[in-house]
Amino acid sequence: MLFLALFSANASNWLYLAKLSSVGSISDEETCEKLRGLIQRQVQICKRNVEVMDAVRRGAQLAIDECQFQFRNRRWNCSTLESVPVFGKVVTQGTREAAFVYAISAASVAFAVTRACSSGELDKCGCDRNVHGVSPEGFQWSGCSDNIAYGVAFSHSFVDVRERSKGQSSNRALMNLHNNEAGRKAILSHMRVECKCHGVSGSCEVKTCWKAMPPFRKVGNVIKEKFDGATEVELRKIGTTKVLVPRNSQFKPHTDEDLVYLDPSPDFCDHDPRTPGIMGTTGRFCNKTSKAIDGCELMCCGRGFHTEEVEVVDRCSCKFHWCCYVKCKQCRKMVEMHTCR
Amino acid sequence: MDAVIFFPFTHRTAETVALKMAGAIIENMSTKKLVIVGVILLLFQAFSFMVGGLIAPSPTTAVHYLATKCVDAVKTSEKDEWFMPWGPDQCSKIRDFEEATAKRIEANNIVFAVHIPLPHREMSAWFQFMLVILQFDIAFKTHNQIEDGAMATMDVRLAYRDDLMGQWTEMAHSIEHRKLNCNFTTSKTPENDGRYYECDLLPFMEVGSVSHKYYLLNIRLPVNERKKVNIGIGEIKDIRLVSIHQNGGFTKVWFAMKTFLTPSILIIMIWYWKRITQMTRPPVLLEKIIFALGISMTFINIPVEWFSVGFDWTWMLLFGDIRQGIFYAMLLSFWIIFCGEHLMDQTERNRLSVYWKQVGPIVFGSFCLFIFDMCERGVQLKNPFYSIWASDVGTELAMAFIIVAGICACLYFLFLCFMVFQVFRNVSGKRSALPAMTKARRLHYEGLIFRFKFLMLVTLACAAMTVIFFIITQVNEGHWHWGGYTVQVSSAFFTGIYGMWNLYVFALMFLYAPSHKRYGDGQSSVGDQGGNSGEDIQLTTTITHVDGPTEIYKMTGKEAQE
Repeated sequence: MLFLALFSANASNWLYLAKLSSVGSISDEETCEKLRGLIQRQVQICKRNVEVMDAVRRGAQLAIDECQFQFRNRRWNCSTLESVPVFGKVVTQGTREAAFVYAISAASVAFAVTRACSSGELDKCGCDRNVHGVSPEGFQWSGCSDNIAYGVAFSHSFVDVRERSKGQSSNRALMNLHNNEAGRKAILSHMRVECKCHGVSGSCEVKTCWKAMPPFRKVGNVIKEKFDGATEVELRKIGTTKVLVPRNSQFKPHTDEDLVYLDPSPDFCDHDPRTPGIMGTTGRFCNKTSKAIDGCELMCCGRGFHTEEVEVVDRCSCKFHWCCYVKCKQCRKMVEMHTCR
Repeated sequence: MDAVIFFPFTHRTAETVALKMAGAIIENMSTKKLVIVGVILLLFQAFSFMVGGLIAPSPTTAVHYLATKCVDAVKTSEKDEWFMPWGPDQCSKIRDFEEATAKRIEANNIVFAVHIPLPHREMSAWFQFMLVILQFDIAFKTHNQIEDGAMATMDVRLAYRDDLMGQWTEMAHSIEHRKLNCNFTTSKTPENDGRYYECDLLPFMEVGSVSHKYYLLNIRLPVNERKKVNIGIGEIKDIRLVSIHQNGGFTKVWFAMKTFLTPSILIIMIWYWKRITQMTRPPVLLEKIIFALGISMTFINIPVEWFSVGFDWTWMLLFGDIRQGIFYAMLLSFWIIFCGEHLMDQTERNRLSVYWKQVGPIVFGSFCLFIFDMCERGVQLKNPFYSIWASDVGTELAMAFIIVAGICACLYFLFLCFMVFQVFRNVSGKRSALPAMTKARRLHYEGLIFRFKFLMLVTLACAAMTVIFFIITQVNEGHWHWGGYTVQVSSAFFTGIYGMWNLYVFALMFLYAPSHKRYGDGQSSVGDQGGNSGEDIQLTTTITHVDGPTEIYKMTGKEAQE
């Protein structure tokens, strides 16, 4: 029983793919078996869709980067471990942070796969989900569906497979599924509609519109907002189905796009050797003037902070090209740095 | 019973001219027949909507492409190297520009490659045209922001091949400039580094025929610090393209429709012209303009596009624009002249020169749009990457053309509204005078009024339909699910509206053709007068000579019984 619970909680283990840069490209089915962090069902998906796995790995990296960006000023700054699970024990409990990680990782897979489709890396995007089938006739007759549909569907089958395989019973599975879906919704409901008129003399008599994916930073911001307003829920049985309802009945019920969590988060103040992933805030930089979570008061959990004057070498009066070329002078300046005790 | 009145015209006023067009089929038709014709036309109308909504797919497809960043490792001096984003001989790629920085690759050695279409698909001549839109993903960096009025300079090459293993053949090569119109919605502070600018879509390429299976685009953004080329354009992360082409299925349905419509309009046109030539008098202006409308409709209908499937005719897009333009100009002129010829004041018209004030704006406006179109799509025949909107002068010129055309359109509609108002004023004036007139004159004016009102109603209905459907397609997303069917709204709009204006022209030529019911065959209608609905008023006006002194009016039905 305990084993099973632990097993289910680590449904984001596949994020470890991001750490597997040494493997090189995932190009054949045998590599799938060797990948750490995948469950059996995911290995099967990997084997069936080997060419997608590079995109999935980029998605995992994207998720971790974005998480670290969004949480850069919080006590838990999304720091990763070199082991499975990548975020340590933080995500094994049903906390807000876990909700964020699940949402951002589901979104990132959909995002990365869609991008891979658009750059022509994948063979079977869009078209195979069309009524007219994969045949070139289908594409000729009515075109193919959007790549995002494929990206989201792949994220659905790959990321959700762990929760689905055991039937949707436990509250944790329900929470994960909900948050995964919320992550994908963060992309889908923020697609930008763009249009081009191309009628007679370029008039809008004929207009073609399409949906463009938002930049991932925007998706991250959306999910972070949902994190800030996440709803604490509990499992309740309504009829024969189990659903998650807000613990506080005064709150209005959460929507599909909101994040939900089951357990309150720890304070993340101190390093706890028993729960890997929680590094504590000792040694973190803080902002002396801020009253928010990045302020020294809150960040250091009242332990106080060191202040030292450091000389920072900064780049200044730079010349840039659009890519790959920067020529700067070096400017030195003295900065006060505050670090938590 | 059958009263034949010889009405001697003693005073030859300008009214005789107005009377010349008298006696169209529509007046001579019984209400029953008119209803039958109307129902048949409506059935065809519904059919044309259904063809588009149920059989055809959506009119166009947009496909997203993300440019692959290839590295031109040796900086080949030979210009004919092509960089493939995927497939057997793909280029050496980099994932992002951090990698390029690490490998010391310069901006000048990076080639953005896009293969159209995506793997395992083929382009087809049925796509008719292909436009490509370009969008830069530019990340905000506090130290490396986009300068005001920044211009991106691109070295673009387009190639095609028809065989996956074949050689690429260059189609076009050009240096293009595009103004970056980007804004950053959040505050420009270091913590927003990495967020993307919101940049306008840039018109990139337009080809008027898709006669090859595979296309390849290679884009370079060369940097030249001395000449200030591509300096201050921010930190480009990606180039995204969207290609738009007409769906093959829609093209097929469209062609089928055109092929069906051409003979039907052609036949009615020939029939109409025969009717006119059978008359002893030369055709009046209104009859000529209706015929001209028929010709321009046929001109649109003739499915020359069939050739584009077999031949590489890039000018088809431009040709289509010209055809549509001619039809619109003709339709607008027709409305003006129709109103003018039904003014029922005492002025002699019947000459095109009388309408110069109203037709002038139409001609001038269409001419402006034609010049504009030649500047855009005409030049694109030579250089598919050309866009008039890319340069400041071009933008101003294009705007000038469009504004002038817009002013012409406004002017036209003011004239038209004024004329319609005049007609209605005269109609109400004539109405009050009607009882005092002789029967023949009264019937003549009633005929005029009925003819005008009928066309007015039909035209308004058609215009309203067009506008309503246009709004629906603009507001609505592509398709509706209705029961088990998916209704493609925009396809239904195109086929339905196209069918509608065809039916409009058809009905016009049929109903407004001069009736050749002379008093001779008029007598035959006496017999079935009882059988026909008693309310029918059949009025035939025939003019034996152009300015003939006598008019023969023949009345049957209730009118006669009175």
